[in-house]
Amino acid sequence: MNIIVCVKSVPITIGAELMVDGSKKRVVLDGTPFDINEWDEYALEEAVRLKERLGGNVTVVTVSSRNVDDVILKCLAKGADRAIKIVDESIQEYDAYAVTRILHAVIKNMNYDLILCGAQAGDDGYALIGVMLASLLEIPYATMARKLELINGYVRVTRELEEGFEEVVEVKLPALLTIQTGINEPRYASIMSIRRAKQKDIISLDLKSLGIIESDFENRIEIQEFFIPEKKKECIMLHGDVDEIVTKVVEVLMQRGARGF
Amino acid sequence: MTTSSFLEKEELKIIKDLNFNICLQCGKCTASCPLFQRTGLNPRTLMRKTLYFVFPLKTYPPLSLSEIDDVWDCTTCNNCVIRCPRDAKPVETILALRTILVERGNVPSTIREALESIYKLGNPFGISNFKRADWARDLNIKKASSEGKIDLLYFTGCITSYDSRAQNIARSMATALKISEIDFSILAEDESCCGNEVHSLGERGLFEILMEKNIELFQRYAVNKIITTCPHCFNALRNMYRLEDIEVQHHTQFLADLIDKNAIAFSKNIEKRIAFHDPCYLAKHNNIFEEPRRILENVPGAILLELEHSRRNSLCCGCGGGRMWYESPGEVSRPSEDRIKETMDAGAEILAVACPFCLSELEDAVKRMGCEDKLQVMDVAEIMCEAIAGSRI
Repeated sequence: MNIIVCVKSVPITIGAELMVDGSKKRVVLDGTPFDINEWDEYALEEAVRLKERLGGNVTVVTVSSRNVDDVILKCLAKGADRAIKIVDESIQEYDAYAVTRILHAVIKNMNYDLILCGAQAGDDGYALIGVMLASLLEIPYATMARKLELINGYVRVTRELEEGFEEVVEVKLPALLTIQTGINEPRYASIMSIRRAKQKDIISLDLKSLGIIESDFENRIEIQEFFIPEKKKECIMLHGDVDEIVTKVVEVLMQRGARGF
Repeated sequence: MTTSSFLEKEELKIIKDLNFNICLQCGKCTASCPLFQRTGLNPRTLMRKTLYFVFPLKTYPPLSLSEIDDVWDCTTCNNCVIRCPRDAKPVETILALRTILVERGNVPSTIREALESIYKLGNPFGISNFKRADWARDLNIKKASSEGKIDLLYFTGCITSYDSRAQNIARSMATALKISEIDFSILAEDESCCGNEVHSLGERGLFEILMEKNIELFQRYAVNKIITTCPHCFNALRNMYRLEDIEVQHHTQFLADLIDKNAIAFSKNIEKRIAFHDPCYLAKHNNIFEEPRRILENVPGAILLELEHSRRNSLCCGCGGGRMWYESPGEVSRPSEDRIKETMDAGAEILAVACPFCLSELEDAVKRMGCEDKLQVMDVAEIMCEAIAGSRI
C-alpha cells in the first residue's frame, strides 16, 4: 500500500494578536511559529498506521511559500518514509486551485494506491484542495473520512455528515480521501526521532523543474479584504433557582442555534 | 520508529544501567505512592517488570509495553526514592520507561499537546510566548532585553506566567521585591519553559533544547543570581542545568534571607492560623524545609501550624510529573483532597504553599470540597506581599 499524504504548514495563531497589513490583502505572520495543519496530522497518522499494517510506503508532499523543514521532519519522524517539498515565495500569491495544480504536477506520475489529505486547513479553511486534486487526477474521492477499511481493491469509508449522521461509501482504489480530525490518536514525534529523521529522503522540487510557469495559474479566488472582526460583548444575567436558570440557559442556547435538546 | 510490543536493543540501553536489579521487592515504594490506591500505580511491580524486560525469564512470556501504561500516573513526588531501603530510585526507572514510550510516540494525547506546545511556543499552554510577560503589565518591571546585563533574574516559569491565578504569585513577588528596593529583571517573552516537567515526562531531547536556550540567555545577560517562585523551575535550574557561576534560589530562600538581614519592613498583621504545605520539588527533591516556615513565623500576627504530614513526610498535591496535563483513567479522587481534609482538621485558615502547581491543584480541591469560606490557599509570596504592602494585590 503506497500512500501519499498532502500536508500544509500553517501558522499557530491561538492566543496570537494577528494584524492585517496595509494592503488589507494579507495577514502579518512575521514571528508566528508554524506547525503541521491539524487535519493533515490525522491524515498522516492514518497513512502510517495503514503502512505498519499492510506494508508499502508513505510519501509526504507539501507546497509552501516559506521554509517547511520543521513540518517535514516531524512527518518523517512520525513514520513517513520520504518527503517531497516545493517551496517558492511566489506560492503565497496562489489560491487553492493554483496550489492544487502544483500538487497535481508532482503526484500525477507517482505510483500510489491512496492519497490522503486533511479535510481542511486550519488557516484558510477552504477544504478545496483534496477534492480538486482528485478531480485533476481523475480518481474517485470521499471527504470527511472518520473511519477507513481496506477491502479487496476498495476502501470502505465512514464519512461524517451533519447532526451526528454518518454515511458509509466504498471507493475503488486508487482513490483520494480527505480525513476528519478524531479518526485516530496521532502519535508524538520526540526530538530525538526528529533529529534521526534528517537521515530520511527529502526531495526538493522547484516550479521550473515541474514544468510550471507562472502564467499557468490564474487565481480563481481573489481576496477582497482581511479585517479583524469588531469585538462585541453581550452579557445576560439569569436569575432564579437552579431549575429556572437551567431552563433559561437552554432557551438562550436554542435561540442561538444549539441543537440536540 | 518501532511498532513491536517488546523492547528493542536501543530501548534496553535506556534502562539497563538503572537500579531495578537491586530492588528487594519490599513494597515500601508502593505503600508510599500517593497514586497507588487511586489508580493502581505500583512502583514495586514496575521495578520487577523492568527486570523482566532486560532479563526475560524462559518460563515467563516477554512483557508487552502495553503493560506499563500506568507510568503516566506517577507524580514524581519522590516518596519512593526517599523511603527505598536499597536506594533503588524507582522514579528513575519510571522516567526511563516513559522515555521509551516517548521515543515510540506512544504518549497520552493531552501530554502530547503540552510537549508539542513547549517545543513550538516555549510553554505548555498553546499560547504565544509574546504573552509571557502579560502578568507584568503596569508593574514597571525591567526586561533583560532592554538592560543588557543583569545581576538578579526572576525566572518566572510557565504556570506563573500564564495561569491567571498563579500570575498573582509573580505579581506579589515582584511587588514585594520592589517595595523592598531589590533590583531585578525578567526575561519576559525570551524565557522558555525550564523543562522540569518535560524531563520528568521522559522527553530528554526536548529538555536539552530548552536548557540550552535558557542557558544561552543567562550567559548573554551575564546573570549573576536567579530566583524562581516555582520549585519545579528551581529544581531544573539548580540540579540539571549545571550552572557553575550562577546562584539559584527558590523565592522562599531569598525572602528568608531578607528577613534574616532585617531588610523587610512589614506594614500589616496577618492574624490567621497558617499551615505550610511542603511542595515535593522543594522539600523531597531539594531538602528545603525551614526557610518557608521562617518566613511565616516572622509574618506579624500569623500563627504557624504544623500539619501531620510535613517536611519529607509531606503529602503530594498530585500535580507534578506532567500530571498537570493528564488525568489517570479511573482515578477516583485527587491526592489534593486528602491534603485539604488534613489542613481543615488542623484548624488552619490559610494553607500556605510555595509552588504554582500546588496552588492551582489545592485551590481546585478547596472549591470541589466546598470549603472556600473556611480555608484559603495562598503562596508564601502572596502572604509576604500582603504583610509588606499592607493589602492584597
